Amino acid sequence: MKKQLFIFVVFIGLATGCSGNKKADSETANDTLDNFDQKETQYYSNGRRLYKTICQNCHMENGEGLGKLIPPLAKSDYMKNNRANLPRIVKYGLNGPITVNGIEFNQPMPANPKLTDIEVAEILTYVGNTWGNGLGSFTTEEVIKSISEEQ
Amino acid sequence: MKNQLAVIVLVFVFGLSACNAQKKSKLPILGRTDYVETNGTIDTVYHTIPNYSFVDQDSVEVTPKTFENKVYVADFFFGTCPTICPIMKQQMLRVYDRFGANPEFGIISHTIDPDHDTVAYLKDYSERIGIMDNKVWHFVTGKKDEIYELGTAAGYMVQVGEDESADGGYIHSGAFILVDKERRIRGFYDGTVPAKVDILMNDIDRLLKEYEDE
Repeated sequence: MKKQLFIFVVFIGLATGCSGNKKADSETANDTLDNFDQKETQYYSNGRRLYKTICQNCHMENGEGLGKLIPPLAKSDYMKNNRANLPRIVKYGLNGPITVNGIEFNQPMPANPKLTDIEVAEILTYVGNTWGNGLGSFTTEEVIKSISEEQ
Repeated sequence: MKNQLAVIVLVFVFGLSACNAQKKSKLPILGRTDYVETNGTIDTVYHTIPNYSFVDQDSVEVTPKTFENKVYVADFFFGTCPTICPIMKQQMLRVYDRFGANPEFGIISHTIDPDHDTVAYLKDYSERIGIMDNKVWHFVTGKKDEIYELGTAAGYMVQVGEDESADGGYIHSGAFILVDKERRIRGFYDGTVPAKVDILMNDIDRLLKEYEDE
């Protein structure tokens, strides 16, 4: 028994030697989250997982984008003013100049044609209600309507 | 029991000092090393970055002379890259912010899509991420085969090339490569992972310190 304790303490000693500081999660969710029902909350958390794998390399961990190259998603007036187009943009990408929060961007966004309707709704439910955005949740019906409109 | 206590204390001390000891030792010299005999003495010949000539975002020719008396970080990217390039550039900006004021430091980013990424395009691209001149960070273009040749085993020893099946049409490594004043590779770091870039910045400090100590 004593021996086990000894090994444990040695292990802790080694483990504490080189531990770094973990960065605090600076992600700030909007108040609308409190009003989400179970389904919407699930969309949100699935959306966060999808965001990290599909969107984050360009739009960055906190939706800040990159300079004048990649537009921010945080506190985005473009998202607020173009809600009906958002599902189509997520699925089919975007070409040509757009203005976001007063800055013109002109970097093509790639399409994500493999995303299902529900995945698009999940991503938008996450992005639309994080980092100061308060768009409320997105439904698959809303996504289907947007992506089936003529481009 | 006394002995055990002593061992525990030792382990703690060792655990803590491991981090410090690491900072003091020299960075490894990477790549193939040859031993050449001249006049009866054996010389060690390290892998070095070969000669090259590219043009940067301000239409200025960039050669190894540009990085004379500098340690520098190299990477490969392309402007329309839909995958790892933006995060790499965000992370390289951290390195730039930390070392950009040091006259013994530089950065070179090679496009692997020179047909699209012209000098004018690279100028716009670099300004859009906040790099307004070519004093520290050179975004270079040139002949495609020379860029690819420099990326592979003869040069930076990373993966670059065209691949139709890849997103965006190119495959390339996300590595940041640290090169010393003698054009030797001293480290590879994943430029898409902030914690690895922290290690790079720590290693740049160590490398600069090696020259101070000489």
